[in-house]
Amino acid sequence: MENVEKQLREEAKRLLADKKVDVIVGYEEGTLPLQTVPCFITNPDDAGKLVWNSFCSQNLAKYVHDIIHQHRESQVRVKPEDKTRKVVGVVARGCTTRSLVIHLQERQYDRDEVVIIGVPCTGFVAKRKVSTLVDGKEILEAAVNGDKISVRTTSGDKDVPLKDVIADNCLNCHFNNPVISDIMVGNEAPPRDVDREYDSVNKFENLPLEERWSYFTKEMEKCIRCYACRNTCPSCYCKICFVEQSQPAWVGTGDDPTDVQVFQIMRMFHMAGRCVDCGSCVEVCPMGVDLRNFLKKLDKDGFELFAHKAGESIDKPAPLSTFEMGDKEKFIFEPESSS
Amino acid sequence: MEKRLIKKDALSGIINKLSEQMLVYAPVKDEDNVLFKVLEKGMEPLADYSNTRNAPKNFFFPKTETMMRYMRTERGIELSGEGEGAPEMVLFGVRPCDARSFILLDKVFDQEKYKDPYYIDKREKTTIISLACVHPPYSTCFCTSVGGHPMSSEGADVVLTDLGDKYLAEFVTPKGEKLLEKMGDLSKADDAAEATKEELSKKSEEAITSHVAGREIKPWLDENFEHPFWDTIHQSCLACGTCTYLCPTCHCFDISDEVKGSDGKRIRTWDSCMYWLFTKETSGHNPRTSQKQRWRQRLMHKFKYFVDNFDAIACVGCGRCVMYCPVNIDIRKIVNDISKL
Ligand code: SF4
Ligand code: SF4
Ligand code: SF4
Ligand code: SF4
Repeated sequence: MENVEKQLREEAKRLLADKKVDVIVGYEEGTLPLQTVPCFITNPDDAGKLVWNSFCSQNLAKYVHDIIHQHRESQVRVKPEDKTRKVVGVVARGCTTRSLVIHLQERQYDRDEVVIIGVPCTGFVAKRKVSTLVDGKEILEAAVNGDKISVRTTSGDKDVPLKDVIADNCLNCHFNNPVISDIMVGNEAPPRDVDREYDSVNKFENLPLEERWSYFTKEMEKCIRCYACRNTCPSCYCKICFVEQSQPAWVGTGDDPTDVQVFQIMRMFHMAGRCVDCGSCVEVCPMGVDLRNFLKKLDKDGFELFAHKAGESIDKPAPLSTFEMGDKEKFIFEPESSS
Repeated sequence: MEKRLIKKDALSGIINKLSEQMLVYAPVKDEDNVLFKVLEKGMEPLADYSNTRNAPKNFFFPKTETMMRYMRTERGIELSGEGEGAPEMVLFGVRPCDARSFILLDKVFDQEKYKDPYYIDKREKTTIISLACVHPPYSTCFCTSVGGHPMSSEGADVVLTDLGDKYLAEFVTPKGEKLLEKMGDLSKADDAAEATKEELSKKSEEAITSHVAGREIKPWLDENFEHPFWDTIHQSCLACGTCTYLCPTCHCFDISDEVKGSDGKRIRTWDSCMYWLFTKETSGHNPRTSQKQRWRQRLMHKFKYFVDNFDAIACVGCGRCVMYCPVNIDIRKIVNDISKL
């Protein structure tokens, strides 16, 4: 890790000093244990702030999109000959690079507007898992030592195996090494337990309909519609989300449970073939809503119907925005006959 | 002020007895959160807990509230209210910071110039039993920096202090004293109990480890509406509003109409300065177009405008926004960074 961090800082410093990028989006130390914070570095001398560790939980691709688009907006009234571009450097692990690929495929910005510093990834720590293992006691300090994480809480110290607190999406990740990069730091990360990727979805699919529905409604009851999930998601970049449109208003703003469900169902379906299972939405949700179960089902469908994994390769177009003669369409014309 | 002693093992019985006579909300465990819920038969109120994830402000200022209903008929529009008003209730187990937040909310919703009948009705009919913090529950607590205290009775009608084997119960307000009548016979508190409380109070205050320069930054805020510092806070913000939704003192709201066929209702919902729709006008114009401006509003509102208007900081130091911000934007750090400018 230290080695990766050292290289990372050197590369970032060089990119900024050589004016290859205007800003580097990375992670820096937070003020609380188990936390790192997205940071935005413009001064080469600040590159030393960058960290790379098991607490880097968020997918940073969202910020790349925001920065480039905000800059473009600021250029709208500028004369064509005076227009400038903003080039963003980003610290990107596997899932982040897949999100960047999706942005590029969806023509959100040009390849030369982003400089990708690829980092190998061994998974991030899910804060909720740690909190559960220490019975919700306040965590005062946490440090990773080898394959353990040592936690100091208000009622004593505890060592927890790292694998017990790694986020679910990371445990079975196929792409823990970047799929695309301009600079790579560190050595390739060892493969994860990829064969069990769909275990939890398979289990859920086999439950009776009523049980699945009641699980869905129970989870959605927790949602306070803060939209943190949507706002952190790199694939959710609509300028005005349907939930905030008022003419017409697609969903109400009150506390009607169906409004929450409609928001979630619509958002999830917009993720079909576009969710990279980065786990950011789950990690940032303040209420602990299990979004992954449902998103993973859509991912599995995409894989089984179209052999597609979101953002896997820039040359592989997304199934829902392309048509091929061989595409399955039986489920459209004879929905009853397919499961 | 009446003072009584309650044996530890008798407390839950007393609270349960109250819940037979009126609505009692108490902290209970719900999956991995602690939330205020209606106490029903057989439920144990938690007396030994840190704090709830949500602030209790929703009891007086609900997240969604119907203000009126209307119906289009052949004779015109018919208006109606929302039933008979709030029931009598008890809020048990409120932390001192949250109890104090009600005093701050009163300044907004129950003042000379504006009286909010929806808020006032509920507030008047509720008796608040707070649980003093004999240990600050979190390392992020900073009540003492913003005018509060871990053992403060501000905003409470009854204060319970854990003395080890028993609670000292202080009935601070007339509302609290009325509740005492419903609690049955309790032995009077002696001087020793009060001396112990004094001691605990000092210890608890010393155990607070987070300190912010709450009042000290006011002169800087007065002068620096435009300053490069404002460019450094908001960049990672997800604009999720978690900080404002969980905050006991945030109180911005929005009013909208929901119409189905010929029936409609006017609802008031929480708003948040973190949202891009905040202060967006019907014309399409928004005086605050960026997250930078919105974050400045959040800080200014708490540490300057509220102080200008009501001579109090609109933050009680509960630390919720610090603990639950998904990207760890820490108001303690921001305030302290400003104090160093
Ligand atoms: S982050 Fe969680 S609570 Fe917020 S809208 Fe998403 S699911 Fe709901
Ligand atoms: S839906 Fe969630 S897991 Fe999927 S890409 Fe978006 S943030 Fe990541
Ligand atoms: S601003 Fe933060 S610390 Fe202050 S009262 Fe609100 S949630 Fe608590
Ligand atoms: S909780 Fe954090 S990310 Fe969410 S709006 Fe507040 S400051 Fe921004």
